[in-house]
Amino acid sequence: MVKGTQQIGMMNQASKLQFTGNWFIDAGILGFVSLMEAVYGWDLEKIEEKIAKDPRKIYYGYFPFAYLYKWLSDRSQEVNHELIVKIKAELEEKDFKSNEDLFDFIWWNFICELFKDSWAKDKSKLIYKNNAYKINKIKKEYDYRNTQIYLQKIEEREKIINEIQKKYANEVKKILKKEKIEDKEDIEKLIEIKDKSIPNDLDKLIELLKEKHFDIINFLKKEWENNVLKAQKFTEEESRFYRIPVDSGFYKNFLFFNFQRGHLEQKRSFFDMVSYNVRNEEMLQKIDKTVNKLLPSEDEFSNISYTKFSSEPFINQIKYLFVYLLCFIYSFEEYKNLGHVLFYSPDLKFSYIVNKKLKLHKKKIEDSRDPNAIFKFTWQQIINLLVEYKSSWSLENMYIISYQRLDNQAQENVEYIGISKLQASILLDDIIREMLNKRVEYRRIKNNFERKWVLEEFIKGKSLYSIIFNHVKLVLDKEINLSYYSSFYSLIVDAKILELREQKESKKLFSENYFNNYKALVNEIKEEIRFTSYKASLIREISKDSAYMERLARELLGALEGEDKTMFLNILLKDLNEEKQLCKNVNFNSWIFEKIVLNDISWKNYALILVTHLLLRARRR
Amino acid sequence: MGEEHNVYYWQKVVGNKLLRIDLEKLKKASEESFRNESDSYKQKLVYNMLEAIKNNDQSRFFNILLRAINKPKENFKQLWETLEQNYDVMPNEAFINFAYTIVLGIMATYAGGEKSEQ
Repeated sequence: MVKGTQQIGMMNQASKLQFTGNWFIDAGILGFVSLMEAVYGWDLEKIEEKIAKDPRKIYYGYFPFAYLYKWLSDRSQEVNHELIVKIKAELEEKDFKSNEDLFDFIWWNFICELFKDSWAKDKSKLIYKNNAYKINKIKKEYDYRNTQIYLQKIEEREKIINEIQKKYANEVKKILKKEKIEDKEDIEKLIEIKDKSIPNDLDKLIELLKEKHFDIINFLKKEWENNVLKAQKFTEEESRFYRIPVDSGFYKNFLFFNFQRGHLEQKRSFFDMVSYNVRNEEMLQKIDKTVNKLLPSEDEFSNISYTKFSSEPFINQIKYLFVYLLCFIYSFEEYKNLGHVLFYSPDLKFSYIVNKKLKLHKKKIEDSRDPNAIFKFTWQQIINLLVEYKSSWSLENMYIISYQRLDNQAQENVEYIGISKLQASILLDDIIREMLNKRVEYRRIKNNFERKWVLEEFIKGKSLYSIIFNHVKLVLDKEINLSYYSSFYSLIVDAKILELREQKESKKLFSENYFNNYKALVNEIKEEIRFTSYKASLIREISKDSAYMERLARELLGALEGEDKTMFLNILLKDLNEEKQLCKNVNFNSWIFEKIVLNDISWKNYALILVTHLLLRARRR
Repeated sequence: MGEEHNVYYWQKVVGNKLLRIDLEKLKKASEESFRNESDSYKQKLVYNMLEAIKNNDQSRFFNILLRAINKPKENFKQLWETLEQNYDVMPNEAFINFAYTIVLGIMATYAGGEKSEQ
């Protein structure tokens, strides 16, 4: 009894949408969600709710239809939107005895209905009757109970085609830009021609061709309606004739995409794929082979441990693994300038939201001249979500995965990005993050000021000092106002990171608090902010004269530009020497001693803070 | 002790010898030594020292410093001791930190009051 309950529990667990830590499978899960959202308009929450209620309806009912619906609409073929409304209504109402019943219902009533037009069009592609034969034997894909009627109709159309070609070779060449009518597209081109200058007789022949062509399509549609939709059965021999015309560059040659498979086999293998009903090794191997093509090879990524992907071990953990693997490509969004891009972190909801927000900004990203726009937008979304997702684990393991193309031939070009543990743990502090989340002017180009997003530079692990230095220089030249708090926080954070690195180098690798280093760092930063904001501000007492303070700020900044600590201290102390009260102020005196004299690592950061205080006071007066 | 407060130390291997100056101790010694001198004397002294540092003139700096403390006063005992141990082997990089420590130490002892006349 208990065992049974446990099993059901495990089953539900296995149907649930949850990330596995394997980015490839997780991308498939995201792709699955993205597919369902695109077709049915359900967001992640709704999908999870529906899966919790009845996973079978989602995986055996909604999914197969959605997958093929998207396949069709992506190839700009007409799809019947009403089917979506209908499928929702019927699936909600009906109960099914088994998974197979449910799947069959969807297949015959919805998927076959969906493909009626495209199947008929596909079968009308046979232009010359002879092409239906191979060494006097009819090819399987044209062989069914009414083959003779079908081929007769093809032949009738062929006669008109031949007549047109014979009599109006020049006109045909002019319209098609080639000698021969070869395929369905050529016929369609001729039919759609609206050139009044073409000879009357040709016009009549084209009209006749149109009639015959549509006659074939309508005939085929009727055949589909009667033999497929209504009868819902046909022999294995006819199966190839009724093959659903789908293919895939990505999942080539396996499952229902294989050109050699007939309709019934397509149906079976789709069902097997959803139910993970793997009867032979071959199918598993084919899937694994496809998947492995997408994974980085050992040569390219020698620093990651690489083993070949094998789906077999996942059988018990992830019930609908193949469904997700099939949806892999839908997790990517195609950008004109970047190729196929996916944001990935080990948290499903986090990844889902960031990707969704990125889609909203797709146009902006595509239009941006900045090649790093995608990173900027991604980070912006991440920052916006940080308050909700305070998980440094997710932050550390973020990737932007991009593929130039998603097909068999051209792969790789996977780019990993992530916020390091150090940066991530600092970013999790609301105040520090808020202060760094500013764009400060740092360069003048003609009449415009170029800004740098401090947070982005920080995430990239770049030094913030040089940005703030340039910013302060612009302030000194009276071009802009000082962004005091952003500058101050940037300089302190930057200084503390420099100091931490130095400490790490000089200390043993695994000191007692090695693992708490980052937590301690945030506290240290906050403490430093408290002390330095007060102690450094005392420099304002050096004078009451704004012009004097500006002059001093300029001289000190000059010394900083030359990274000349001796000069900086010399100028500072000479001026300070005239202000005895400030000289003997223990807070100020020992702050200078500790942060500048004794400090060869980050003295510039503290020195620049002094300059900002001088400027702030000078400008206020 | 020293290991935990490495920020207050300057240390360097010169030849085979580990040279270490406890700058915080030096600053305290400087403060103690000049506490009883007059402000105007110290201001001039500081100014001259800063000039010597600016010109990277070690011998001038030590000349000023040694003349200032070459007096039969108890005050300078500790500073002398520190200097005796170190100054003759001081490399250039250490000099700057050493010199500014002395200067800041002196500055910390101003009696205060109005701004001095220049």
